[in-house]
Amino acid sequence: MSDFQPILTEHIHQKECHTLSFYKSVGGYSALEKVLAMSADDVIELVKASNLRGRGGAGFPAGVKWSFIPQDGEKPKYLINNADESEPGTFKDRLLINKTPHQILEGMIVASYAIGCNTAFIYIRGEFFKEYQLLEKVVAEAYEENLLGKGILGSDYDLDVVIHRGAGAYICGEETGLIESLEGKRGWPRIKPPFPAIEGYLKCPTVVNNVETLSNLPHIINRGPEWFKSIGPEKGPGPKLFCVSGNVNRPGVFEEPMGIPLKDLIFDLAGGIKDGNELKAVFPGGSSSAILTAEEALSVNMDFDSLAEIKTMLGSAGVIVMDEKVDMVQACLNIARFYAHESCGQCTPCREGTAWLSKILSRIASGDGNSNDIDMILEITDNIGGLIDFSKGSFGKTICPFGEAVAWPVRSFVEKFENDFRQYISQEESVA
Amino acid sequence: MSDNNFHKDSFEYVNSDLVDNILSQYPDKRSATLPLLHLAQTQEGYISNAVVDTVAQITETHPAEVMDCASFYTMFYSRVQGRYILQVCQTLSCSLNGADALVDHITDRYGIGPGETTTDGKFTLMKVECLGSCGTAPVVQINNDYHEGLSKEKLDELLESLQ
Amino acid sequence: MPLLKIDNAELEVESGITVLQAATANGIEIPHYCYHPALETVGSCRMCIVQIEGMPKLQVSCNTFVGEAPPDKKIDEKYDMVVHTQTELVKQERKNVLEFLLLNHPLDCPVCDQAGECFLQDYAFKFGNAHSRFEEEKRVRPSEYLGSQIVINQNRCIMCTRCVRFTRQISGTGELFVQKRGYDFKISALEDQPLDNLLAGNVTDICPVGALLSTDYIHKNRIWNLHEQPSVCQDCSVGCNINVFYQKDRIFRVSPRENHDANGYFICDIGRYGFHRFEEIERVTSPMRRDEDELTEIQWDEAIKVVAKNLSDAKEKIVFVASPFHTNETNFMLGRFQKGFFGALPLIEEEGITYPSGFCINGDRSPNHRGMNDVCPSILEDMASEIDQQNIKVMYILDDGVDRELDQEWKEILMKMDFVVVQSYALTEVAESAHIILPGLAPFEREGTVTNDQGRVQWLRPSLPLKGKARPDWRIIMEVVNTMGQQELSYSDVGEVLAEMGKCFPAYKGVSLFRLGDYGLSINGKVESS
Repeated sequence: MSDFQPILTEHIHQKECHTLSFYKSVGGYSALEKVLAMSADDVIELVKASNLRGRGGAGFPAGVKWSFIPQDGEKPKYLINNADESEPGTFKDRLLINKTPHQILEGMIVASYAIGCNTAFIYIRGEFFKEYQLLEKVVAEAYEENLLGKGILGSDYDLDVVIHRGAGAYICGEETGLIESLEGKRGWPRIKPPFPAIEGYLKCPTVVNNVETLSNLPHIINRGPEWFKSIGPEKGPGPKLFCVSGNVNRPGVFEEPMGIPLKDLIFDLAGGIKDGNELKAVFPGGSSSAILTAEEALSVNMDFDSLAEIKTMLGSAGVIVMDEKVDMVQACLNIARFYAHESCGQCTPCREGTAWLSKILSRIASGDGNSNDIDMILEITDNIGGLIDFSKGSFGKTICPFGEAVAWPVRSFVEKFENDFRQYISQEESVA
Repeated sequence: MSDNNFHKDSFEYVNSDLVDNILSQYPDKRSATLPLLHLAQTQEGYISNAVVDTVAQITETHPAEVMDCASFYTMFYSRVQGRYILQVCQTLSCSLNGADALVDHITDRYGIGPGETTTDGKFTLMKVECLGSCGTAPVVQINNDYHEGLSKEKLDELLESLQ
Repeated sequence: MPLLKIDNAELEVESGITVLQAATANGIEIPHYCYHPALETVGSCRMCIVQIEGMPKLQVSCNTFVGEAPPDKKIDEKYDMVVHTQTELVKQERKNVLEFLLLNHPLDCPVCDQAGECFLQDYAFKFGNAHSRFEEEKRVRPSEYLGSQIVINQNRCIMCTRCVRFTRQISGTGELFVQKRGYDFKISALEDQPLDNLLAGNVTDICPVGALLSTDYIHKNRIWNLHEQPSVCQDCSVGCNINVFYQKDRIFRVSPRENHDANGYFICDIGRYGFHRFEEIERVTSPMRRDEDELTEIQWDEAIKVVAKNLSDAKEKIVFVASPFHTNETNFMLGRFQKGFFGALPLIEEEGITYPSGFCINGDRSPNHRGMNDVCPSILEDMASEIDQQNIKVMYILDDGVDRELDQEWKEILMKMDFVVVQSYALTEVAESAHIILPGLAPFEREGTVTNDQGRVQWLRPSLPLKGKARPDWRIIMEVVNTMGQQELSYSDVGEVLAEMGKCFPAYKGVSLFRLGDYGLSINGKVESS
């Protein structure tokens, strides 16, 4: 078992951990008090110094993102808490919302203060209805305690928080898709430039931060950037919530330092593979990451840079474990079908390509594959999302990273488990 | 709006205070579109043309733009569904943990395939994508509630308990 | 000004321009679908992708802005941006996008109206693969009416959303929307709000493929059979620039022609479908004389003689009625009658509309009201009282061919006349009161200049041949003038009349057909007769 002392999820086993009184009793909102006595610029510098990288999937440094907000200009600034957790394999934000909602709220207020925002939004996926109701209560409580509204805790800082429900669209987790949805339209991602930091919600400067990212802020304020950097690798440090699901004995969310070996997550914390089976493949960072073979999984650490080096990514840290009994073709089809369903349809390669991939994989899975199919899949994935080799400059074929999100996993299935696919195909051909 | 013979019922929110409250939260009327659609669906069961017109009036947009928005999201229905909408997650983690068998089980017991409703209007079966609770797979969402870690037996118990 | 290099071309461009705009302005082709200069950029078709030095990702040229680079960032020490459109990666990407677009696109070219002017055909030919590798079932959907005159063939749609953006940003009517998402996405309109606004026809022009079609033109002809004549719309005083597509003696289609000093990129449906009016109209194609209630066809010689005699006898007790529906040259010629008074038929005024984009349909439905006033001065405000006071008994009317119902005042005026000459191309109520009818040309047969309400003189060019014995209106008047014996006018074509007009009215000095060209000239100075 782990000997890491949890920070974000320290108190989640206490019955009242979600209440304001409990949160305050364990030092909650002390970071907010500190921040209100600091200048916004100092808050930004502090967070920059901590090297906190976004926990939603992209891993962009949070402090740097905040510093893009122009401080001159009369347009109001907006902070949006991205609680649209929809990446397959990811379920950490739901845990945080249910168990530590005030921690998230405190982080939101800190972030809003840092960028000079007076109206912040929580965009929560529509399916999280109970969580939405809880957040409404939490926000109401915060208003009553002068933690929100006018003159927070006696300062001259005002902040309103609005909770906005999504309605069932994975693509609304993408920054600009989310902003479009918040504006009351279909969640079609926007081209950049202009960047949200300059023209986001209602053409005003906007920052979108993930739930977990925001949850880290009170701790960074209270204990300092040096402390934060000491947890895990310095370039992408901090405590991390890893989600493990699939064919494991103890699926769940585990808070560990960044950089924990993946094998420890799977075999130690999550209790190993069910039924004593062997590991076959694993998604390290949600279904948008390239899968790892058992061999690769056993030797890699879970942090941004280590995973990028072996041509996959940490993403949302949604680890999906597949054992030897899992049919790779079916698993690949499952993922391809997910992306085809969630494609927003705006840009040509994604709209047509995801459906094409699903159709080919469907055909292979039902025994009608032919010998061209494998090369075709590889080419189509390249045409949608490019190769996982940024030096080739072949990405950027779609408006948003959804293209890469479908291309990399599907491609990795076919490349790393080619024989599984060939077996399906040759069965049909030998029968014919 | 053209004045032809196209008949539609009109739609009014039963609680206009809620509507005002929603509008007051946003700096721009159009941003209230999603919450207004959710509220309307709670009342009507689906998003009808009349709902679209009313929301368009309130948010000061074209009805076509509201329909554009509503048709994008899977949680907005274009027709009435059963009393209990059984949304079974079919994405990878749930699929690895028996979700497909749950779907088949519902089809066997209640005679409805994905997208279909029982003749008594009680259950509608839907296959949905990742519900964000992969750790307790397989997961079925019934209306607004999550039911996690289901087996066929537990599912049966659950469905029988629903009035 | 930033220095941009696109392949081998070095271009000095305005800061803030996009790569695509810079390329298009300099004759470099970058294929694109969803971008349209009048609409918001969405960057969704991905066809305009290029490689830019210093940028790791492929970029869409429609959304890549050129600006001054700091001196240490300039490429080869002089270029602010270097763009590559002919690398293997870019060429491959174009092939890929085309392949994706053609996955579900039906092989409809033999039956599709867009063939010959289709961007999918053109780009597939230039940049695409010869073969499709798609072996799956195609997405097939039925065609639908989006409005009473607009059909969408859903299978051909490449989902560039130009049409949806048009109804939101240009006409502001918002009828079109996108239904659903992903692979199932399709363009729709609500059943009770069809695409029926007066700018609706423009969506068929901006649709790059044969998805949006005008029911007016479906399956009527092929673009390669048609002649394309640039001209000017005559249905209101905006004077939108158009292209008239005709074959022999029939017009098949009218489309907008781009002119940023007049209409921009679009025309309204009144002008677009207005040419049909002349197909059914009862034409006058021969000089006619009225004896009691019957009209008899007569020869030109006789007709002109009779007219000239009556006009000469009446001396100055004549009213010449000019027309804002006729060209400057015709109205100018009318002004060459040396003795007499001038009037005009009542204007046709309807509701004027201004759209959010600034595009206007003017309430004044005549094309040349300004021009008429410019070159035929001294048009009386109160023609009726002058007729009474001067006891005028002879009228020469330039009819506009619009079958209007005359009001009581006009009916009484005409009844008082001893001799009425009507120059018209149709048997209108006005023409029926004439003693002599002289057959002029219908709007699409005329050549000349018209001046719009902004003071822009534009060249009106004919698309249809003369009918029967009809003659150009200005020429008829010239012959009458000459037969009256006081003058010897000898213009052989419209250009010469225009030149003479310029001598008489300084604002029109130097205006020649050559100088007018395709886009016209602005003459916003004061117009005085010399």
